[in-house]
Amino acid sequence: MTGRRERAWAAAILIALALLTALPRLIPRDSVINFVFLILLSITLAQSWNIVAGYAGQVNLGHAAFFGLGALVARTLWIGGRPIVTAMVAGAVVAVLFALLIGVAAFRLRGAYFAIGTLALGEILRTTVNNVLPEISTLPAATIATYSLTRRYYLALALAAVSVVAVTALAGSRLGLGMRAIREDEEAAEATGVGALRLKLTALALSTGLAGLAGGLFAFYHISYYPAHPFGPQWTFDALLMTFIGGVGTLHGPVLGAVLYVALKEYVALHWVDFHLLIFGALFIAIVLLLPGGLVQAAERVRRLRWG
Amino acid sequence: MSLLAQQLLLGLLIGGLYGLAAAGLSLVFGVMKVLDVAHGELIMLGGYGVVFVVALLGLDPFAALLIVIPLSLLLGAVLYWGLFGFVVRADEETRVKNSLLIGFGLALALHALAVQLWTADERSVVTPYAGAVVSVGPLTIPLVRLASLVIAFALIGGLHLLLARWRWGKAIRATAEDWQAAMLTGIDIRRAYLLAFAIGTALAGAAGTLVTIGYSVSPSIGLEWTLKALIVVVLAGLGSMLGTFVGGLLLGVAEAASAASFGGPYREVVGLVIFVVVLVVRPRGLFGR
Amino acid sequence: MLEIRDLDAAYGDIRVLSTVSLTVGAGEIVALLGPNGAGKSTLLNTVAGLLRPGRGTITFAGTDLARLHAHLIVEQGIALVPEGRRLFGGMTVEDNLELGAFAPRARAGRTAGLERVYTLFPDLLSRRRQLVRALSGGQQQMVAVGRALMTNPRLLMLDEPSLGIAPRLVASIMQSLVAINRTGVAVFLVEQNVPAALGLAHRAYVLESGRIALAGTAAELAADPHVRRAYLGPLAMRQ
Repeated sequence: MTGRRERAWAAAILIALALLTALPRLIPRDSVINFVFLILLSITLAQSWNIVAGYAGQVNLGHAAFFGLGALVARTLWIGGRPIVTAMVAGAVVAVLFALLIGVAAFRLRGAYFAIGTLALGEILRTTVNNVLPEISTLPAATIATYSLTRRYYLALALAAVSVVAVTALAGSRLGLGMRAIREDEEAAEATGVGALRLKLTALALSTGLAGLAGGLFAFYHISYYPAHPFGPQWTFDALLMTFIGGVGTLHGPVLGAVLYVALKEYVALHWVDFHLLIFGALFIAIVLLLPGGLVQAAERVRRLRWG
Repeated sequence: MSLLAQQLLLGLLIGGLYGLAAAGLSLVFGVMKVLDVAHGELIMLGGYGVVFVVALLGLDPFAALLIVIPLSLLLGAVLYWGLFGFVVRADEETRVKNSLLIGFGLALALHALAVQLWTADERSVVTPYAGAVVSVGPLTIPLVRLASLVIAFALIGGLHLLLARWRWGKAIRATAEDWQAAMLTGIDIRRAYLLAFAIGTALAGAAGTLVTIGYSVSPSIGLEWTLKALIVVVLAGLGSMLGTFVGGLLLGVAEAASAASFGGPYREVVGLVIFVVVLVVRPRGLFGR
Repeated sequence: MLEIRDLDAAYGDIRVLSTVSLTVGAGEIVALLGPNGAGKSTLLNTVAGLLRPGRGTITFAGTDLARLHAHLIVEQGIALVPEGRRLFGGMTVEDNLELGAFAPRARAGRTAGLERVYTLFPDLLSRRRQLVRALSGGQQQMVAVGRALMTNPRLLMLDEPSLGIAPRLVASIMQSLVAINRTGVAVFLVEQNVPAALGLAHRAYVLESGRIALAGTAAELAADPHVRRAYLGPLAMRQ
């Protein structure tokens, strides 16, 4: 995870994203644009989860709560007449505030307890939203009439780029270094003056802020959905799987993982309609068993073999 | 007033099943330090197990326990050999993370399999005595659920004795306390893990059977019951099966009280809130060590 | 009986043991001395199967131990009383002792084994239903040694048995080791309390920075100037 290699990856990914701006003009087919949109959204979501997991070393199973909060606030403000970017930012702010509120308590937990604790918190939020807002949220007809997929696509591109830049900046910064120190050995890090709680909270803020923005994007994109839907655990698991497949704690891991995951899921869903979740679950287990560090670690291993 | 008492009673009756569901999870986590988030799916499979045993063999659903429990035991052994047995080779922190991930994959796969095989509809088993009740003062006690509570208690009591008296039961407890010391005493801890996982799965199967008998089963009860079991495990703490049973009863009653006070939808939330509070305030639970 | 040849051991990239060679013959008492962090515990843990060895061989009565799981090493007849005792605190004294007889080689002789332990440590007999957690350090040490004895070992290894024990109890523990040795069990002892260790051992080794620095009979080592200065002099006593 040297600075130079990460920056090289970041450059490569940003170039790829820049090239993708040409996509709507080259291939103006909705199915393709929707597909790439999904990948871009997934990249952002996975990168956001990666910040806490990969850099601060904690498995947050309630990540969807922040995705959902961002979506909820953004949707409400946007339908109420605010410009979408303002609404999205507001959603992110709410997500971060909620995160900081519970973060202080949540970070008292370690390992498995943090994981299940955050899972429970996510579920509390989902159940509450489900009870308070059980009805489907649909865009007003006027908005649907002027729905522009390209606009949403570009926003997704921008957001994905932001997430990559944010993680790169984080990894190279003193903040990132401190976080990695905590991940390796929290007690030792504390002893050398690294304020663990403050760093973890900063990581959490960044992570949930990005997730909130992604949620806003989700709210902007979908014409109708149940408000509780983006709070569902499957969004957390998706982010988790993607990051894991690609490699936790690396810059490019979530990106590779997102591309692979979405592509694979679409492929399996198309060809094995009935069994795709089953096959997916089985594939995932295989990956975890065989490659505990994800594909990135596998690549490392191959490299080490070939050059001794 | 008597309405509240009736609600609390029903909460108590399902609480016993919460306790049974949690016991299996607690055993596995306590011994192997593996958090099997597919535990709820195993309960779900047990529930479908009884539906099919009753349909195919015409047995009384309670008698079907005698078939579902051994089958679940076998399933647990297979899952350990094929899956979780590999997870335990890593150190504790990696173990927990990997088991979480594998559990998710497994839960996803099992859920999808169930939907594929049996559709998303609810199933239940019908018995001639289904509506039988016994009246104690103003309370009406559904007999089927009462019987389930008794059976759940008996199973947990049996587990407690197993762990206290059986040679391998003691070995399991020793492994849970200090696996390295257990190895030094000549215990093959892989065998201890296998037994713990198989027994845990058997308890899940039994819980699933009782859930179907008293209520119903569908593919989606998996996550719901995993969370219930988790809440009880955290509430009661590790190390005491009887404590876990009591924790289950407490959760059931708390849920009923909250539903009676704040309305139905908040029944779920109270459990989760208790969970989080206990985790933060007293992580080792009410009865844990 | 126990033969270690050119043993290397490492924790990740940190080399802890380098080409260590030593033997423990049947019926002997052998002591392993050396400063903290020299690798003494690592050596015992490796022999017992808790750690995987690097290069080198460990054989016991002709059997190669390197690939065996720890519980199978117990089955070969080697028992380790680990540092800090590592008892099952939530279980009774008797449960702990009985678990010692878990391996097949010890199962048949369980009742006789219990009697032996209670004869050696009469204090435990009256406390056998108590939870081990509730016992004093010295009593816990007795349980730890007793549990190891229950495995019916041919070689008994102990990692710092006098650590955390009141001085007058140390002597009594050392005496029990002599008594155990007289029944034919070899003893391999890692011990910080050098005078006590040299007092009961036949032979001894000194391990420094992962290598064997000295070897010889207990008398030879007790007379050695380096040993006297580092481990027996007034500075050493303050450790």
